[in-house]
Amino acid sequence: MSLLNLLPHLLNGITLGLLFALIALGFMLILGLMEQINLAHGSLFALGAYFAYAIATPRLPLPDDMLQAWAGVPLGWRFTAALLLAPVLVAPFGLVLERLMRRTYGRDPLYGLLLTFGVAMVLEELIRVVWGTRDYMIPVPRAMAGGFIMLDLIWSTYRFWAAALAIAAMALVWVIVERTRFGAMVKAGAHDSEIVQALGIDLTRLRVWVFVLGTMLAAFAGVILAPLWGIRPHMGVDAVVPAFLIIVLGGVGSFWGAVIGGLLVGMVVGLSGAYASEWSMLSMYLLLIAVVTFRARGLFGKKSILEA
Amino acid sequence: MKQPKISRRGLVKGSLMAAAAGGTATFFGPWQHNRVWAQGAKKPIKLGLTCDASGQYGNSGQDDVRGIRMAIDECNAKGGVLGRKVEWITADTETNPATGTRVAERFIAQEQCAFLIGAVHSGVANAITQVAGKYGTVYLNTNSSAPSEAGENCSRVKFVWDGNGTNFSKAAVQNAVERIGKRWLLLTNDYVWGHTTSAATKAQVEKAGGQIIDNLLVPQNTRDFASYLLKVQQAKPDVVATAVGGDDIKALRQQVSDLKLEDKTAWINNQQDWPDIWGAPETLFGVFGTTWYHKLPLPGVADFVKRWQTTYPQSPIPVPGNVSYNGYMATRELLRAVERAGSTNNLKVIKALEGHKMSAADRMQHFDAYIDPATHQVQQTIYLARRNAKPADKTDLFELISWTKPESALDDAAPGKCKLKADAEVPSYEM
Repeated sequence: MSLLNLLPHLLNGITLGLLFALIALGFMLILGLMEQINLAHGSLFALGAYFAYAIATPRLPLPDDMLQAWAGVPLGWRFTAALLLAPVLVAPFGLVLERLMRRTYGRDPLYGLLLTFGVAMVLEELIRVVWGTRDYMIPVPRAMAGGFIMLDLIWSTYRFWAAALAIAAMALVWVIVERTRFGAMVKAGAHDSEIVQALGIDLTRLRVWVFVLGTMLAAFAGVILAPLWGIRPHMGVDAVVPAFLIIVLGGVGSFWGAVIGGLLVGMVVGLSGAYASEWSMLSMYLLLIAVVTFRARGLFGKKSILEA
Repeated sequence: MKQPKISRRGLVKGSLMAAAAGGTATFFGPWQHNRVWAQGAKKPIKLGLTCDASGQYGNSGQDDVRGIRMAIDECNAKGGVLGRKVEWITADTETNPATGTRVAERFIAQEQCAFLIGAVHSGVANAITQVAGKYGTVYLNTNSSAPSEAGENCSRVKFVWDGNGTNFSKAAVQNAVERIGKRWLLLTNDYVWGHTTSAATKAQVEKAGGQIIDNLLVPQNTRDFASYLLKVQQAKPDVVATAVGGDDIKALRQQVSDLKLEDKTAWINNQQDWPDIWGAPETLFGVFGTTWYHKLPLPGVADFVKRWQTTYPQSPIPVPGNVSYNGYMATRELLRAVERAGSTNNLKVIKALEGHKMSAADRMQHFDAYIDPATHQVQQTIYLARRNAKPADKTDLFELISWTKPESALDDAAPGKCKLKADAEVPSYEM
């Protein structure tokens, strides 16, 4: 195994890891502040992909003349609009879900888990009803499509664009969490919600905003991943399992835990895919077992609800 | 010593309990040769459709259902079988062998289905076979195409309707080794169909003088193939032979076509099911196998397509493909076999199917087909196709490049691996 042969797989692992981290980020926010395992995260991810498809292709419920005019807009603009608008369109679903979850706050996390599991199934069926069971693909603008040659190999151009967009989204979340008053309240709320309330901060409103932000991140990840993985009703399952795993691996409530966890999972999946392909799906679970065996709270986790 | 006193009440109670226990024991088994339900001349014959509605083969499973239901509807429109109406029930087998087992058990033991039909995933098909074998229930595996289904996992009660990996490999490999190159790389879905299909491809490649330089196993539900595609590029094979199915092959096709890797090396995709192709037709590439196409230039095809479209005007897939076709043909032949047998007795139906010959015209294929009595697999025309560069309409996605006679694509090794039970070893029933 020469370094020259290994290098492409390391690079591939990093790009994959960034995408995994993006998927996990919204999950982390909701679990971190609200101590709720949102199993509907994957369905919100899928909804983001479907809304993006509707905007970019375009398949919007608009009058014919407006639809024609929108179809005439260059694909680059339609794709950009999908990136920005799809998360906004999915946000109300997050609002409704948060409203449904209020009765579970402060109770056994199992209630929230069951509720969000049920919502995930409802959303998946909703997708089947609206869009059917067939697969869809989102076309990407010419500048982002196709491949380029590096290290004597053909690489997916879009994959690097997707990784770059993931970095941008993560940077934005970092700024919000670490450099704004809102972020300070979120972290304080995650640390001690009673004190935060005693200080006059409206925890209910804070939770709503965190949930909406988490939902929009899930939807954004769905838009980014759709051109790579395709769009199908059960695509949410492909996202929620690694997201949950990354959060546990990186440590509940830790921004850097989600990022580093995502990168580690990406590297392990990428390398095992190349050198021990039959282990590529299992490798992330083995990594999780290895980490939690020595550090139950994950790499960067503080006290977790999973230890309660 | 005090003798135990037996009261009249105790005797009656004991007798009743003994009778109940005896009755229960009789009810629960042994099943061998004792399942006969009250038939009533007009009691409907119930079929259990063991088809996926979710998971890797959810789309294909539902297309299978469409073909099966159409055959049932047409049969009922002609008065049913043996003067009895045909009913059906279905449940999602979830592309999951454990679920397949549960569904099959329920359909037979609780729902009293006379026959089971349907499967795409070979692991699910094998799981259903185990349950069907226990009860002696005749089971038609419509669409799972692992060579093992008619080999080591064959069963006296099971009939395999699809062409299998060996059939497609035999039709494709020899020519490709001679014309394209000897260095082959295998991409194999990591479950029974992938393994047995790739093993068949490997045998054919080596027989033709080629060499397998690597076999990359693809776990089920893989969505990201980047590491595999990098590995393929590093290995520089002459041919990549895939045995990847369902949603996995759709994701693979999407990523290969995005990189235009189909231009860099030759790809042979063992069998491509129509529902997988219809999901993303723009990513179709390479040479692939099928057993039927809706634009075959043969009598009856256009009429069949029209009937199917009339039955399913809202279908997410606008025309029938190989999966729906197999479901239809399997069901139609089962119901015809019941008619020929003059009974729903499973052993009589099995005998009516074994060795049964079907004309090319009746099956809308190029060559006559038959049910191999040694393996219970339908031996039929094997087609190879590639993407149609000049489609007549948006559904005209295939350009057929060859059609091979069943005898030329025969899985020679299967009869040696398949051990069918004798009549006496098969629990019988009639309902």
